[in-house]
Amino acid sequence: MTLNTEILLVEDNQDDLDLTLHALKRENLANNIMIARDGEEALDFFFCRGKFAGRSMENPPRLVLLDLKLPKLNGIEVLQQVKSDPRTKSIPIVVLTSSTEEIDLVRSYNLGANSYIQKPVNFAEFRQTVKHLGLYWLVVNQPVPANAWEISGQAQ
Amino acid sequence: MSIPAKSGLGEGKDKDEDLRVLLVEDSDADSELILRELKRAGFRVVSELVKSAEHFQQTLDRFVPDIVLADYNLGQWSGMGALELVRAKGLDLPLILVSGALGEINAVECIKQGATDYVLKDSLTRLPVSIRRALAEQKLRLQRKEAEHELALKVQELARSNSDLEQFAYVASHDLQEPLRMVAMYTQLLGERYRGKLDEQADKYIHYSVDGALRMQTLVQDLLVFSRAGREGTKMMQVNCNLLMKQVLKNLEASIKESNAEIIAENLPTVLANSTQLQQVLQNLVANSIKFRGARVPRVSIRAKQVGAEWLFELSDNGIGIAAEHADRIFVIFQRLHTREEYSGNGIGLSICKKIIERHGGRIWVSANEQEGATFHFTLPQTEKWKTEQPHTKELNKDFNEESNYEETSRSLVSG
Amino acid sequence: MKKRAEVLLVDDNPADLDLTRDLLASTGQQRTINTVIDGEEAIDFLRRNGKYISARSPDLIILDLNLPRKNGWQVLEEVKSDPKLRATPVVIFSTSEANHDIGGCYRLGANSYVRKPGNLQEFMSVIRSIGQFWFESATLPDKEAL
Repeated sequence: MTLNTEILLVEDNQDDLDLTLHALKRENLANNIMIARDGEEALDFFFCRGKFAGRSMENPPRLVLLDLKLPKLNGIEVLQQVKSDPRTKSIPIVVLTSSTEEIDLVRSYNLGANSYIQKPVNFAEFRQTVKHLGLYWLVVNQPVPANAWEISGQAQ
Repeated sequence: MSIPAKSGLGEGKDKDEDLRVLLVEDSDADSELILRELKRAGFRVVSELVKSAEHFQQTLDRFVPDIVLADYNLGQWSGMGALELVRAKGLDLPLILVSGALGEINAVECIKQGATDYVLKDSLTRLPVSIRRALAEQKLRLQRKEAEHELALKVQELARSNSDLEQFAYVASHDLQEPLRMVAMYTQLLGERYRGKLDEQADKYIHYSVDGALRMQTLVQDLLVFSRAGREGTKMMQVNCNLLMKQVLKNLEASIKESNAEIIAENLPTVLANSTQLQQVLQNLVANSIKFRGARVPRVSIRAKQVGAEWLFELSDNGIGIAAEHADRIFVIFQRLHTREEYSGNGIGLSICKKIIERHGGRIWVSANEQEGATFHFTLPQTEKWKTEQPHTKELNKDFNEESNYEETSRSLVSG
Repeated sequence: MKKRAEVLLVDDNPADLDLTRDLLASTGQQRTINTVIDGEEAIDFLRRNGKYISARSPDLIILDLNLPRKNGWQVLEEVKSDPKLRATPVVIFSTSEANHDIGGCYRLGANSYVRKPGNLQEFMSVIRSIGQFWFESATLPDKEAL
């Protein structure tokens, strides 16, 4: 893994994945995207193990787009694990889901999701959403400073 | 009854010299001879006589002599034993062995072990000379120690004073940012809201205010960057300059492409330095060479060689060069040689380079002429010579000591 | 954004407060923007203490760090450690670019950290982006459901 991953996309549904990638590409946000197809792969990525053993924990992705309906381990579980580990809790995770369940919304925010997006059904709207999301999380939002990752494992 | 003292040898001193002597001698006759010789040589002697180690210790506790004259052999004890006792007490006290037959080798051995000199009892006339020399040497040692101590104090004071200045520069520039932001933003807002709605003069005045405020903002930001430069920890390590240059070229990709610049870095060495800061220096210099290009396509070459205990780096370009009379000025913060229309920037790039290089214990200078371009030279010592600084008081904002945000500094570098 | 969004702006700088409120209100549809000027007022508002007894729980908090009385850190900590409040997204909006400020805020659970720009164009553009993302793209937590 020589290039630093900018966006980690966690999505198992191929159609949704295609759509999201398409929208990202149209907005010129498609450089350095990593894809995880299920909850376990996502965790492997975050904790630099298994398929992603070569990754360094000091190079987190700039943004994670996380679907909730995932095989093996669902998005809520992933969120729970990532946001409770000091080494990974500061990674910005935006839940990107088609779920309209209130409980998913509330639980996600409670577990520390940085934000939550209900995927618009209309592609034009979706593209607009991706545009705003990209601008906000990749440009406006300040990423966690690089050196902070070395000390994020320490007790507060 | 005191006899007018004269130096019987006629060597140097005519006036009376006070001399406190601790005599370590088991023969009363010999001690008489010694004291008499000293008096003849013009010394006004106050003396104590001891014959054993215990007596020596006790006497030394209450009588501080200028010099110890010790016999080599005192039966159970030795003059060298006296030397050890003096050492144990941590005193800088000259000790001269005054002895009968000693043997050349033995004598040299004693001196090696720390005796100041030795004088044979049948050549006592040598004793005063020896004493005077020993005392003169001691005086010199003392003066040297004092001078070193004073120097250390001055260095400390200078460091503190520098540190105070830097604190001030940092605090001032940091605290100025907020009110400046207010002025800049809200005059701009004024401009937006009322442009064309007041009269033409008003529009002009607002424009001048906004312009001034924006310039102040960049100046203060630059001052902040400058006051932080060279402060990000003292992590010195072996740095491969070729790798640094790679990063520099990457950072300057846009302006290199735009100007078609050619940057040639000959096989550069690995040096002991702070990696981030050295990269800053190289980047500033290369960026300047590109910026201050003339009609020609910019060509920059960088090489380094070992000179004595230092590395000497040279970075040459074919740009507009620098007139000799300005060679020193350019390293001063905010000194610019051109108008803002000709070349942008506030003029801090080189002052940052100078600060960093000097903190590393090196020097930086330029040799240039307006026809051929400029060559910047800087040295880096091969061993660590990091200038230590006063530790900061806790009242100082944490910001000052934190790791620099690299992106922040490199953003402003290109405009420097 | 479907229903009316409640925003709490916390900033001790009245100029910034005014400008931010104006910009946020103008770019959007149904929003109520409440403002407080220091950390303690912010906490009182969030806990509906005293004069804030009928305050509506915000769907989004935009929080400066340098505040009198309680500072932004303390407000952030109180929000993120309170089970009734912690789902509320907190966007830190501060002039500080200091690494330890940014890192520290994330460690305390800030949802986002946005640097307050020094010039008007950027300021307006940043507020616009905040509005577009948080009010038009994102779904804010429904307070009634908590």
